[in-house]
Amino acid sequence: MGAKFDIQYVFDYFVKLLPYVRISLIIVAASIALGLIFGLLAALPRLYRIPVLQRLSQLYASFFRGTPILIQLFLLYYGLPEILKLVHVDITRLPVLAFVILVYGLHSGAFVSEGIRAAVTAVDRGQVEAAYAVGMTGFKAFTRIVFPQALAISVPILANLVIATLKDTSLAFTLGVMELTGKSQTLPTISRHFTESYLALAAVYFILSLALERLFLFAERRLLKHENLTIKESRVLLRRKWLNRRENVKAAFSKGGA
Amino acid sequence: MIKLRGIAKSFGKQEVLKGIDLTVEKGEVVAILGPSGSGKTTLLRCINYLEKPNAGEISIDDFSVNCRKPAKKDIHLLRRKTAMVFQQYNLFRHKTALENVMEGLVVVKKLPKEEARRIGAELLEKVGLADKLDAYPSQLSGGQQQRVGIARALALNPEVILFDEPTSALDPELVGEVLAVIRKIAREGITMIIVTHEMGFAQDVANHIVFMEGGLVVEEGPPKVIFQAPKEERTRQFLARYTSDSAYSI
Ligand SMILES: Nc1ncnc2c1ncn2[C@@H]1O[C@H](COP(=O)(O)OP(=O)(O)OP(=O)(O)O)[C@@H](O)[C@H]1O
Ligand SMILES: [Mg+2]
Repeated sequence: MGAKFDIQYVFDYFVKLLPYVRISLIIVAASIALGLIFGLLAALPRLYRIPVLQRLSQLYASFFRGTPILIQLFLLYYGLPEILKLVHVDITRLPVLAFVILVYGLHSGAFVSEGIRAAVTAVDRGQVEAAYAVGMTGFKAFTRIVFPQALAISVPILANLVIATLKDTSLAFTLGVMELTGKSQTLPTISRHFTESYLALAAVYFILSLALERLFLFAERRLLKHENLTIKESRVLLRRKWLNRRENVKAAFSKGGA
Repeated sequence: MIKLRGIAKSFGKQEVLKGIDLTVEKGEVVAILGPSGSGKTTLLRCINYLEKPNAGEISIDDFSVNCRKPAKKDIHLLRRKTAMVFQQYNLFRHKTALENVMEGLVVVKKLPKEEARRIGAELLEKVGLADKLDAYPSQLSGGQQQRVGIARALALNPEVILFDEPTSALDPELVGEVLAVIRKIAREGITMIIVTHEMGFAQDVANHIVFMEGGLVVEEGPPKVIFQAPKEERTRQFLARYTSDSAYSI
């Protein structure tokens, strides 16, 4: 189907894709920012057990976590204008990019809400009680004691989410947004060097993911410096456990063999 | 002077405190003893409103809280007048030893940072941790963490410090250092209410012993009387169990 493999095209396409990193990152940044807001709004009713809202936010999280993002894109892009038409609101003029960011924002918000819940409940109740006992108000206890620790705990969750969202942006081209993946599809239309184009695309995503991963790891180390000692210790323990298991496996295999 | 009148607390249908009356004089050290489940922890937690009593009155000098209809600001004030040392230490894990002690001073008492730092360092020195100011809880042993907990409680200059089994989560070899610190501050005339299973310690540090069972105060009095000539059969049985399996002497 394509032309004969030529490595030169990989470099060539790689450079041509670079300008489109910007639009992909804009989608990621805007939708994560939106996701943090949606996520916080959705997490609060569940943290404070507000009767009806709690159910709604649960439904929201389940829906956006449980259905493919491609379907969500189509549903909102084609469905939302139809529904809004019923109440005489016309949003068909809205740029596609706005829909894309909204969908990715809702999607990541679902994960953020779960993350916030997990992180906040991971800070033990005892510390909150200690904060009350020294005379702090509920608000102070949350902002001074719970939030900073929950934030640190949620950095790895956020890192996963950002990288997943980056990869998910590759679906935005299905609605015609000219981002990385969209561009990679149009580049080889004449040359027919498709494989090279996909290879270059993979390289761009890979480098971006790697950079983001490093960045978050750095943030995590900074924010979790108070637990670093224990983290290091538990890593050593894990490694030891793993080595032991290997020893056991070796022993199991060698049984009767020698 | 701290006065509890008819403190009652239920969890659902279970009546855990059935009307506790207790008076603690200024500078007095009260030890609360009793079998597991008798409501000792619940009582302490009621005194600084970590648990909401259903009825009763808590007064400290001329300030008092009616537990049937407490005002939010009274609960806040009550918490500022009391301090708690927890069984599980409950240090703020993202803060150093010094920051743990400073936190209440800066956030609640609104002291300038410098002054809070000075007081914090002083108190940590008092509990023998002058060299651990910048250590995080994860870098401290259980005994050291509990001593930070005690310094944090002292910092607020409370009318009373409540201790809930301060040594029961510790390895045996670390119990001594914490008890020594509590003894030291007891001698300084700070009012304390201590729930403990360390009978020897209760006997020599407390001026007053309270024996609880089933949500009621069964018997109270000076240590000499309670340990050597308890009036109630249940007190005798409880103490006998402890004296037989833990060889201690004073
Ligand atoms: N939050 C709670 N919800 C329901 N029941 C509780 C709660 N806290 C305590 N209880 C119950 O209240 C009773 C008294 O508990 P409490 O912790 O006050 O006993 P204790 O005297 O401190 O016991 P221990 O010596 O084991 O610490 C127990 O039966 C316990 O199960
Ligand atoms: Mg208890």
